[in-house]
This record gives sequence, structure tokens and C-alpha cells, in this order.
Amino acid sequence: MAIIERPSVIPAAVGGAGATALATPSSSLGVFRRPVAATGWRSWVFTVDHKKIGIMYGVVSLFFFIVGGCEALLIRLQLAAPDNKVLGAGLYNEMFTMHATTMVFLFVMPMAAAFANYFLPLQVGARDVAFPRLNALSFWMFLFGGIFLNTSWFLGGAADGGWFMYSPNSSRLFSPSHGIDFWVLGLQIIGIASLVSSINLIVTVLNMRAPGMKLMNMPVFTWMVLVVQFLLLFALPVITVALFLLSFQRNFGAAFFDVDKGADPLLWQHLFWIFGHPEVYIIILPSFGIISEVLPTFARKPLFGYKFVVFSGAAIGFVGWGVWAHHMFASGLGPVSVAVFSVATMLIAIPTGVKICNWTLTLWGGKLWFTTAMMFAIGVIVLFTIGGLSGVTHAVAPADTQQTDTYHIVGHFHYVIVGGAVMGLFAGFYFWWPKVFGKLLNERLGKWNFWLMFFGVNLTFGPMHILGMQGQPRRMVVWPEKLTGEGFFNLHFWNQVATWGSFMIALGVLVFLINIIHTAKKAAPAPLDPWDARTLEWMTSSPPKAHNFDAIPTVHALDEFFHRKYEEVDTEHGARLVKVKSAEEVLAAEEARADAHIHLPSPSYWPIVLAFGLPIIAYGVIYNLLLSVVGAAIVLLGIFGWVLEPSVADDSDYDPPAGGSETKELSPVG
Amino acid sequence: MFVKPFSRRRVAAVVTFGFLLAGCAKDAPQDTFDPAGPNAREIDSLQRPVFYIAGVVGLIVLGAVAYAIWKFKDRGQDIPEQSHGNPKLEILLTILPAIILAGIAVPTVSQVFSLDKKDNDCVINVTGQQWWWEYDYVKGSTCGGVEITESIVTVSELVIPADTPVLLRITSRDVIHSFWIPRLNGKRDAVPGRLHTLRMEADEPGIYTGQCTEFCGLSHARMRQAAVALTTADFQSWVTNQTADYTSPEAGTTAAIGETTFIAQCSRCHQVDGLVDGAGNPVLAEPDRFVYSGAAPNLTNLMTRTAFAGWTFDLISDECRDRLWNESPETFGAAYLQGVWMYSAADATAPACFNETNLREWLLNAPAMKPMYTDPTKLAETGGKTRGMPALGLTQAQIDEIVAYLLERK
Amino acid sequence: MADIALHDHGAHVSSTGLSNNKLAMWLFLGSECLLFGGLISTYMLYRGRHGDGVGPAQLFDVPLTSVSSFVLLMSSLTMVLAVNSAKRKDDRNTNLWLVTTGLLGSLFVGAQVYEFTAFYNEGVGFTTSLFSSSFFTLTGFHGVHVSIGVIMLLAMVAIISRNKVAGDKAEAVEMIGLYWHFVDVVWVVIFTLVYLIPA
Repeated sequence: MAIIERPSVIPAAVGGAGATALATPSSSLGVFRRPVAATGWRSWVFTVDHKKIGIMYGVVSLFFFIVGGCEALLIRLQLAAPDNKVLGAGLYNEMFTMHATTMVFLFVMPMAAAFANYFLPLQVGARDVAFPRLNALSFWMFLFGGIFLNTSWFLGGAADGGWFMYSPNSSRLFSPSHGIDFWVLGLQIIGIASLVSSINLIVTVLNMRAPGMKLMNMPVFTWMVLVVQFLLLFALPVITVALFLLSFQRNFGAAFFDVDKGADPLLWQHLFWIFGHPEVYIIILPSFGIISEVLPTFARKPLFGYKFVVFSGAAIGFVGWGVWAHHMFASGLGPVSVAVFSVATMLIAIPTGVKICNWTLTLWGGKLWFTTAMMFAIGVIVLFTIGGLSGVTHAVAPADTQQTDTYHIVGHFHYVIVGGAVMGLFAGFYFWWPKVFGKLLNERLGKWNFWLMFFGVNLTFGPMHILGMQGQPRRMVVWPEKLTGEGFFNLHFWNQVATWGSFMIALGVLVFLINIIHTAKKAAPAPLDPWDARTLEWMTSSPPKAHNFDAIPTVHALDEFFHRKYEEVDTEHGARLVKVKSAEEVLAAEEARADAHIHLPSPSYWPIVLAFGLPIIAYGVIYNLLLSVVGAAIVLLGIFGWVLEPSVADDSDYDPPAGGSETKELSPVG
Repeated sequence: MFVKPFSRRRVAAVVTFGFLLAGCAKDAPQDTFDPAGPNAREIDSLQRPVFYIAGVVGLIVLGAVAYAIWKFKDRGQDIPEQSHGNPKLEILLTILPAIILAGIAVPTVSQVFSLDKKDNDCVINVTGQQWWWEYDYVKGSTCGGVEITESIVTVSELVIPADTPVLLRITSRDVIHSFWIPRLNGKRDAVPGRLHTLRMEADEPGIYTGQCTEFCGLSHARMRQAAVALTTADFQSWVTNQTADYTSPEAGTTAAIGETTFIAQCSRCHQVDGLVDGAGNPVLAEPDRFVYSGAAPNLTNLMTRTAFAGWTFDLISDECRDRLWNESPETFGAAYLQGVWMYSAADATAPACFNETNLREWLLNAPAMKPMYTDPTKLAETGGKTRGMPALGLTQAQIDEIVAYLLERK
Repeated sequence: MADIALHDHGAHVSSTGLSNNKLAMWLFLGSECLLFGGLISTYMLYRGRHGDGVGPAQLFDVPLTSVSSFVLLMSSLTMVLAVNSAKRKDDRNTNLWLVTTGLLGSLFVGAQVYEFTAFYNEGVGFTTSLFSSSFFTLTGFHGVHVSIGVIMLLAMVAIISRNKVAGDKAEAVEMIGLYWHFVDVVWVVIFTLVYLIPA
């Protein structure tokens, strides 16, 4: 279990001090060398650089976003008219199951992981995450898990039990295709990926902060991501148990959800929602973090009540564990449980409200600059407020018995997830694009992107509140003409509005994709500090060098970068904040004291090998256990190679051999 | 919020009413803001103010955001003071929502308990199954003064006396379903192996539609139901009719041939109470041999219902349905009790409202109308038992006979 | 961990004082608590549900399991000795105690295999009842954890013997120790709840 991630120092570089304590395996191990490519596909496939991994996370999640989006459009097309026939019942059930699964597990969560991977080390002033190889492993497991999950479409049909996969409807009897097996095993793989990554990021944040960066000096994004990783750490094992029980039942004949043998179907519901409710905050908090960076930057003042925002984030993370049963108010829990969970759910509205107030007050008295990123961030405040308030209406348990499982709920959580989480991620795209790629996304296209999505979200999900209260349940392949009604709130009209709205969102996303291409082809390099930003990730070049910082900065305050640029100067009109240094000057000062020897972890072959074994094991569980043996052998090979590979690439492995500091990624600066 | 595609007037209408309340629309049959019984009304009395409060809070927050956007936009002012907040204000803004929520929490808790009351004389067992509901009126119950002397089993349409509290005991035979009649009460899950209760009461005679609201597999969208409230007198007639003795069709008619065809083709799953075969032995359905969940809809009084197959397909024509649904509480019961013969002349030989097309199509190929698990090659998991009604391969003549026979199950 | 400190040129020792590896192991074990929590809850919910079949009271051979539990507890002691030896850089004794721990662990797993076989022969298989499914899942998961621990112990011995430890040897041993003690503690909970407290 000796996971030794940080490369030991090359003795020559440090001069032998302490090097004797390390028994670095020699290159005589032959196959167990480390890859060295710094360019080409190998530099991506074998990379352990948190920035490259972050970008790969982003690209893959964006792809799955498009997949999930197409699924959503098909759903909306089917519901555009009564008794419609775009999708059959079976395909429709697969579609909404996979839409939710894809959006939650393959888009929002990994996209947040993309941001976290890229920016957490930068924001805390570290040169990489704590365990770079594990980081790569997480990414590859996520990718292979996602692909595995989606191959079910071509192998007899995808999962069709709804994303909550309630038992006993999920047992083999009621869902005989392999879809749910793919779902269970795919989520299991993706879950391991998230678990590994959560440990990795927590250690990074707790252990690798730059000198002077106390916990209460950390950027809010880092804070929120930290809370999320703790939620993942404790929520994932619960769903892991549930998934194991389900796959043991489906694949090995166990009795866990067999009602004839006395099973209680509510067991699954409890396990699922104990995971599932923290999951809601896992989805939303990264976006809260992003906009808590964006709003202060473009309001040119610090986040209002930083401590309150941090504590309320932690409080949400904490109380989020005590409210899971509000998903089960109609399940027949008995009045005592219902009352308790109802009140607990209202309780969680308080820290959430605190956040909204603080964001609004961050704008208050500021000097607001309406970039696209800022508009998305304000969009989050607006849409999340609506989503949060409709959430309060179903904290009221008796009212929830009317609302639950109707389109009212669908409207509510889409306001939260699309209006809150996804819009927040888009704020992050526009805000950090120049940091990652060195070019600014086009603002004109960006505004189109924003307004299309903003109106699209309201047109799609606003009417759903009406539809639900008019009695249209969710997960219905058809709604009948006879239940439509004729008045202003008839189902027909509002379903059509929702469908048009969904295409508006799609158009917005399309504009974003065009923007990416346009920016990559046309845009000029971005200035070093295009937003007059505040936090550490901007105190380095764009894109950052492989080693992030020439010198690890010493932190004195929250918004360190801002305080290096601005100082209070007494003028005749009293004290005024004046820009005393440009970003370039701040950077030059850092460069001047650059570290002499910077050692980055070498790339590794093994994360991708190890991750590749997992879906093979999973296919084996479904089709033939012999295949699982092959997969397990690959995993073992991966672990073997992992443990035995040298901690850094041997000098002789480089081409041109040692001395070419560029290709070695060892860039000794200064 | 919906600016672009609409006229300004409609925008105003939507913004004013849309998000605050869908309260003024009385015309959607499952409108949750249009309670028709004390339980739903109790919920509504809590739900409505919560919506109002949420609306007001929302407007305040959005107003504050809008004001800030307008007021503090960059007009070349100084970089603001780098203040990190105002603890007093923040504590206030924490306490304020806490007070509002406490105000909501108290009535919520008390209502959770008051809606859970179980004291009742009229008990109906409700059993969900893929994809229809079965009701069993418990023998010995007294419903609005009408005593249930023998158990009545009926399907999809829950007939109850108006202005009388009824207690449903809900469970399921296979997966989880959820029983929901929006205008009468909130929903309650039907969980296999568990018994949940739900109170139902309608103020006035009429028909109240609902749907299964817990995802229950392939045809979840086609698992609907309705509650039909009747005056006590009408309910008494209904009970009398339901418990009446079986009458065979007149010898020599198509219906009489249909009885034989029914016994041969349908009766192994579908029960018709009192039916006897040629030898005089009672014909008892054994659905558990053929149907996974162990039951198929009881067809004893099929033609007293207005829809079949999980209340998905109408047994009456669209015009008759519209007319029936719009009957006044006073006249509703009389029409409803006629079943498919409603609105027919007294001496009519054929029912005016019978929607024959639906029933014929269903008999010809049921899975084509409503997706079900009936493909014999894919029933390994259930040992050959279907979930739903298979296509029986009936000839047109057989269908004629069965329809004629069923038409007399009234 | 030596290489971290070196790597960062003293400017950037770990902010918490714990090494990355150790912190990660603690977090992992925290997560594992919830995993076993879920499995134990499932068992507690289902332990009485065995229909007319054999239930826990008739099935368990408490004396035998007590002995194997004792063996596992003793392995924690030998693990402590291994960690101590590793800290003293005493490879010989480290290996000795690691092997002993591994053997004790194997003994425990062996007893579990014996127990499972005996149960199976009594007609209580994995799919027999809710009780049996949840029992085998819970104890099986624990058994797999012990087995992985044994593999790690023996792998560690092999790596130490060939002097191939990349990094701090004592810490590597200590991390395995953390894991091992955790698995032991979980067993104490399982043994108490499953075997000792009657359903």
C-alpha cells in the first residue's frame, strides 16, 4: 500500500542530502520505466499533471453533457404533444434514466472535478495534487466507467429503472435486460474514481497549502470543493453498499430486495437517499464556489461575509446528512419520521438562504462589471433562488405529498441543477478559460450563450412547476388528452413551451461550442490578468507552466493576489484603493525569487492500465466470469507496475538525454 | 420571465399568476390547487400560503438583485472599500429566514399528524399491480350508512359515497406504486409487503381522476385511476348492483356464445363472479398460474366502469365522457350508474355511449395498445408468466362474441 | 515523508503535520466506516428474516468464532511489533512480525472459509434467505478486507527483503498497520453485533 507519489529528488540535483535514505528502484527493472513524452498523445495518456487531467476531465464531461442533452431533447420531443409516439415506453424509460445518470455522474460531477483538479492546486499554491498518479487513475476510471455505462445502449438496452433505481422494480424480474447491470457496475467504477479523487483532493487542500494560507484564507471555491470531497468520502460508500446489494441480487441470486422472502423495499430507498441527498450538495456546492470567486472579482470587492459563506457551506454539508428521507414523504414512513425530516429540511434552507443573501450583498456597493462570467454568476443567484424557494414548498411534508413525483419536482430540481450548478459551471468556463488556454472566450458570443440559456432554462423548467401542480406526474412516456384541461394552465400549451425552451438551451450550448472553436482559431492571446482577479491561480502565467508557480507564494491574506496589486493610498479625498502594481510586476517579483530546483512527478503508464481492467471485470460479471478474471489480471498487473515503477524517469530515458530541461518537465527556473 | 415569445399581456399574466399560483385554473382534472375534499383542502390551506410566502421572498430577493445590478454597475466609480461583511447584518439575515421557516414548520408538523388519522368505518383495500389498481371493499364496513355485506372487488374506478370519510389500506403485489387522486388527497406509496393508509373524502358526487405516481416499469404512464363519489342513495344502488347475482345471457344470442368463448379464452385469468361452466361448476380464475403478480382485473361488472386497462382506454365515447365529467353533482350519479348505457334511450337495444373500438382493439392485440411484458420468448425470469395481457390471437368472430358477452356485465 | 520534505525544499512541509500518505489512509478508513456501517445496518435489518429456515441462533458456532476472533486480535499485537521494528529500522524483526501477522490473518480467513463451508453444508447458502444473504455479504466483505491485508503484508515482506521500498519504509509498514487495526476493530464490532447479541 505504499503509495509513494511525490518523486524523490534526483540525488545529483540536491547533492546527496537525504538521498541515501531512499532506495529508489533502479532502471534495471526494464519494463518498469516511466514514460517521458512531453508532447503528442503520450503526453496526455500517461500524464499525471493535474492541469492536463483537469482538461481531460473537462473535455470528456462536455462530451457527456452533449449526450445527456440529446437525451433530454428526445424526452421533451416525446412530451411535446399528448399521446405522442416519438419514443416507445421502453426506450423512453431508458432515456430518462440515462439522462439523469449521465448528467449527474458523467457531466456535473466530473465537470466539477475538472475545475477542482485544475484550480485547487493553483488556488492553494501547490505544484500538483498530493497523489498525481491516483489523480490520473481517477480520471481513467471515470472515462472507462462512463463508456462502459453507455455501451449498454448497444448491448440490449440501457437501464430503465429511473436514476433512483427503486427496488423491487430494479430486480431482474422486472427489468430483465442487462441495462441495470451496466448501470450498477458503471456507477460502481465511477464511484471508486470519485472516492479516490476525493481523498486526493482533501489531502491536497489540507496538506499542501502555500505558506501562510490558513484554512480561513482559502478561496471559497477551494472551501466548497473541500466540503464536497468530504461529502463524497462519506456518501459514496453508502451507495457502494446499495449497488453491491443490487448486483449481488441481480447477478448472484441474493435475496436483498426479494419481497417474497420478506425483504423491505424501503432499505434501498434509505441507502440510496442517504447517498442521494448529500449528492445534491455534491452537485451544487462547486458551483457555489465558482460564483463566490466570480462575483467578488467583477464586483471588485471581497465576498460579503466570507466566514458566513464558508460556515454555511460546511453547515449545508453537515445538515445535508439529516434530510434524506424528505425524498420519501409519500413512502409511508409514519408521521413521526415525516415530521422530523420535514423540519430538518426547512433547517437546511437557512444556510442556503445565507449564501444567497451574501452574494446579493457582495454585489451591493460594488463596481459591477458585466462580463459573461458575471452574468452567469448573477443568473445562478436568480435561478437558484427560484429553485430554492420551490424547494421550501416541498419541505412542507403534506404539500410534498401533492408535489412529489410530479413535474413540479422536475421543475424544482432543474432550476437547482441547471440554473444553479450548470450555469455556475458556465460562469467558471468564461472566467477561467483565459487561465487554462491563454485566450479569452468571445464575449459577444458569450452574451448570446448566456441569454439563450437563461431564457431557455426559464421557459423549459418554469412551466414544469405549472404542469406538476396541474397533475402531470414525472417519468410518464405519455400524458393523455383527456387530462389536459382547457384553461390557461392546460398541459398542452405549457408542455410545448417547455419543449421549445429546451431547444433554446440546446442552442445556447451550441453557441458555447461555437465560441470554443472560434476562440481556439481566432482569438488573440489573453492578457495576463484579464479580470483584475483576486486569487492565487491568477498569480502565474496563462496557461500556467507545468510547475504552476516559479516560486511558491507566501500568502498573507484572503484574495492575496488582489492585495499585492492594490494598496490603500491616502489622498485628499481620504483613503482610496489604488493599483500599485500590475499583474506583470507581481509575477516578475515572483519569478525573481524562483525556486532553483523544481521536481515534478514523472508520467506513468499504470493508471490507465489499471483503470482499463475495471470495465473488463464488469463485462465479465454480466457475461462471463472468465472475462472478469482477465480484467482482474490487468488490474493486478497495473498495481504491480504501479508499485514497482521507479519514482522518477531515469535520465537515460529522455531523448535528448539529460540536460534538455524543456523535455524533462523539470524546468529549473531562475 | 418569459419575455420573448409572448405578448406583453401574457407576460404580465404569467408573471403575476404563473409562479405565484396556478390557482385560478379549475379546468385541469388533476389540478392540485382545486381541492374537492377535506384532506386535500387541509393540504391546500398549508400549501397555498407557503407558495405565497415563497413568492414574496423570491420577489424581494430578485428585486434586491435587480436593484443592485442597476445601482452598482460600473459607472467609473472608485474601487469599493474591501470590506469583508457586516456580522450584525448577517446574523439578522440568518435569523429572519429561521423565523419564517419556524412559522411554516409548526403547522406542517401538526398537519402531518392530523392527516395520519386512521379512525374509520369504511375500509377499502387498495392493491397496486403492474399496471392497474384493484379495490376490495372490506366485508363488514359501513360506508356512509351503507353496509358492505359481502366483499366487492372492483378495478380502476374507486366508487365511494360522497361526504363520507373512507380509509384506504394500500399495498402492492409487485413493485412500488403510488396512489394519487390530486383533488382528494396527497399521494401514498403502495409498497409490496407493507400496508399504508390514506384517507379519502369527496365533498360532492363527481369523478376525480388520478394516476400512479411512483415509477413502476414499462407502462407506468398507463396506470391511471379515478375516484367516483356518489350520493348515499346512489352508492347503495351501486353496491346492490355489484353484489347482485350473476345472470347468464339469453340462450341463442351472440352473448351466450360469448360466454363459452369467454370461459375458453379469458376466464383462466379474469374472474366473473357467479359464472358457471356447462357442467354447472363455478369458473374460477387462476391468474397466478399465468400472470406474474397473481391477479387480473375482475370483470364481473366491467360495463359499470368508464375505462379499462388501468383506466387508460375509455369504455365510453369521448362525447359521453365530456358530458359525464361536466354533470352537476345532483345529476352525476344517475348517469354514472348506467355505465356504458348512460344517455341511452330507455328502450335502446344498444348502448349509446359504448366505445366499442377500444375494447375490440384491445381484444385483438392488447400489448400493441399498452406495452406489457407478454412476449413468450422473454418470460424466462417469470417462469413463463406474463405481466399484462398477451395477444390471444382471437378471431373477429370470437371478439364479436366476447364483446357481446361483456356488454352484459353491467 | 522524507521525499516530500526534500521536494519542497523545506518551504512547504505538510500543512497538517501528517504525511500525505497517512492522511489519505485515515480518510480512506473514514470512508470504509460508512461502507461497513451500511453493510452492518443491512444485516441488522435482515438478521431475523429467514422464514422457516435456519436463523443465527441455530447456526453460529460462537466458541469457534471466538477463537478466530482472538487470533485476529493477536495479529493486531504482532502488527504493532512490526511497526515498532520498522521504526527502529530493524528489517529482520519487521519481516518476522509482518509474516506472523500475515499468518494469523490467514488463520482467521481460513477459519472463516471453514465456517462458511459448514454453514453451506447445513443448508444455509448465499441465496437461502435475507438473513443468509446479508450475513455472507457482511462477513464476506470483512474477509476480503483481511485477505487484502494479508496480501499487503506479504508483499511488504517481499519488497523489504529485496530492498525495493520506494520511500519511507517505516511509514509504509505503519500504513499497513493502520489498515490492519481498522479491519480488526471492524471485526470486533461485527463479532459483537452478529455473534454475541442474540437476534
